[in-house]
Amino acid sequence: MGNSEATLRVDNVTKRFGDFTAVEGLSFDVRAGRVFGFLGPNGAGKTTTIRMIVGITAPDEGKIELFGERMSPKMQDRIGYLPEERGLYKKMKIVDQLRYFAALKDVPQSVADKRIDKWLERMNLAEWKNKKTTDLSKGMQQKIQFISTVLHDPDLLILDEPFSGLDPVNVEFMIDVMSEFKSQDKTIIFSTHLMETAERLCNDILLINKSKKVISGSLREVKASYGKNLIALRAVGGEAMLGDRSLVAKATEHSDEIEIELAENADPQALLKKLIESGANISKFEKVEPSLNDIFIDQIGGVK
Amino acid sequence: MRKFLAVVKHEYKKIVYKWTFLLGTLLFPLIGACFAVIPAIIFSIKGEPTRIVIVDQGNKISSRVRENLSVDKIAAKAEQAAKDAIKDLNASQNERVKQSSKQMAEGFIFVNYDAAGKSPEQIRTELTAKAVADEIDAYLLVPGNIDAADAKFEFLSRKAGDFVAGDLLKDALNDAVRSQRLADANIDEKIVSSLGKRVNIDTKSIDETGREKNSDMLLAASFVIGLMIYITLAIYGQVIMGAVVEEKETRIAEILFSSARPFTLMLGKLVGVGLAGLTQMSIWIASVVALVAFLSMQADMSQMFAGLPHLTPLMIGYFLLFFLLGYFIYASFYALVGSMVTTVQEGGQFSLPVTMILLVGFYFCFAVIRDPNSNLSFWVSIAPFLAPLAMPVRIIAETPPFWQIALSVALNLLAIAGLVWLASRVYRVGMLMYGKRATIPEVLKWIRQA
Repeated sequence: MGNSEATLRVDNVTKRFGDFTAVEGLSFDVRAGRVFGFLGPNGAGKTTTIRMIVGITAPDEGKIELFGERMSPKMQDRIGYLPEERGLYKKMKIVDQLRYFAALKDVPQSVADKRIDKWLERMNLAEWKNKKTTDLSKGMQQKIQFISTVLHDPDLLILDEPFSGLDPVNVEFMIDVMSEFKSQDKTIIFSTHLMETAERLCNDILLINKSKKVISGSLREVKASYGKNLIALRAVGGEAMLGDRSLVAKATEHSDEIEIELAENADPQALLKKLIESGANISKFEKVEPSLNDIFIDQIGGVK
Repeated sequence: MRKFLAVVKHEYKKIVYKWTFLLGTLLFPLIGACFAVIPAIIFSIKGEPTRIVIVDQGNKISSRVRENLSVDKIAAKAEQAAKDAIKDLNASQNERVKQSSKQMAEGFIFVNYDAAGKSPEQIRTELTAKAVADEIDAYLLVPGNIDAADAKFEFLSRKAGDFVAGDLLKDALNDAVRSQRLADANIDEKIVSSLGKRVNIDTKSIDETGREKNSDMLLAASFVIGLMIYITLAIYGQVIMGAVVEEKETRIAEILFSSARPFTLMLGKLVGVGLAGLTQMSIWIASVVALVAFLSMQADMSQMFAGLPHLTPLMIGYFLLFFLLGYFIYASFYALVGSMVTTVQEGGQFSLPVTMILLVGFYFCFAVIRDPNSNLSFWVSIAPFLAPLAMPVRIIAETPPFWQIALSVALNLLAIAGLVWLASRVYRVGMLMYGKRATIPEVLKWIRQA
């Protein structure tokens, strides 16, 4: 499976509930072997979109293609979906629940049993196998839910807020598991409110707001397109250079550093060179990239 | 299909592998057994024979008493009593009656005692002493002149609580005295007994094939059947609703729906829980059949059960069929309610109309029992919702023509198809609506949209 191959293609999809349009004309591709960050504020239409991808609901318009075929119920067996709002049977043994979820994905019980043991072992939950849900802590339940998502070894993993309720150690653990899936050329769609995490894990992002796409693309592209060509400078001397309008559009002094907005088409290297030549003692010269958080706030705030 | 079976298995195990199911299933036959079998067993335990002395001052009665207490006489008498109560004793029942009568009759040992020349006071003292010394258990004093105004029969026993022996002795004595009096008056005993024979009124109904049927126990049996179906339908309906609400409440529905089609999931749930119900029903029916079979072998109980309507395997088949029809009707109804509400408590309130219909169906059973062939009974026993309760009762009371049963099955199958269709539409939307209970207009919208 090459990276150029789209695992999932959402093509001009619209979903309405009565008068309310939850998703409007949404299109995007998700490629194999990459982590796709699906971002957006509450009520933007994320859950509705995910439900259409996993085949819980069907789009009113447009089409969804998975693994090069139009979405159909049998594809569900190749998707692992961990919903944001999720649960387990309260009074049932962990092993029985996992068996049931695996059976619903058409995994033969002998295979399922091996995988259940393997995953419980890996999650340090082996001794809880025959316990009931009510005996487990919330974090443990979370891990069991994750196991139920991957028991059928899905090619596409959709994780909606997978880290909520986990302690930092377990978050790192889950990130490890995710990178393992990624290295097996599987695809991960990952939805979160935590921009730092998204920035760390995602290769590609899609930001939607009010049922529509706002930005999409690889994280690098998005950030580059968002760069306002800002330089953070901390230096003694060289102030004269900041008046050069061919290089500096605007310089704002903060308490201990200067924020420089480069002039259009100006080369940061040229500015750095001139600063050194002017004899400035530079302790910091950094090209500032916007954080995903900034972009998020800028976009969502801007649309409002 | 494999997924459907997985759901069926899951739902079935979820109910059957619970100790409450085991308890409920076994408790019913167990309680039945306690009330029926244990007393029968205890009474069949033979007491120690009673050692008795009969002192007959007039020397007329004692030989008759002895004769009346003989094994053959008692056995013959018990047999006659049983025959009066039951019209057609089959061979094995007959044998049982004889055996248990013999057991009763073997309960007496006659101890000889020479009373000649002793005063009543003296006899009393001596025999009491013997009783105290555990040489005898009881003695009977027969006065010299049985027809004297002050004639007094005295029966003294250390085992005054042994009413079986006491009753037998009293009967034997009364019979003996009566025979003696008849003999004294020169009247033939046979004539008297034929003159005094009671008229037997045997309430029977005649069904359409002209076969006679005993209607004595019919009422009770039909009522029990109706009650059993009513209770089971109500219980399993609630089970379905609880299971649906749980999956909605815990948000498991979302995971389930991303793995299998809602229709598969709902139907699998209905079938799985239904099979659990059928399992329980079968165990109950089997234990009732076994219980009745056991009891009718007990001589003294056989009179009671001979009046029971004869349950044919076909009837049991019909019974299970209508139980299943009713189950699918009410279960899909309860599933529908379950996917509308957010908690089990809310479900309880919302399912009240369903429970009411079920109750109305149960009440109609009484009308059906009273007159199984009326127009009302006909309509009630083919109407969807009511038929699953009314038809089995009607079949037992008075099996209707086959076309009526077929019509009833067909109508109820139609109702099931419609309800399952309706419920699955509400289910697939409602299960993913969290937070608030759906209103009726909303639900109607779901049905149109889905």
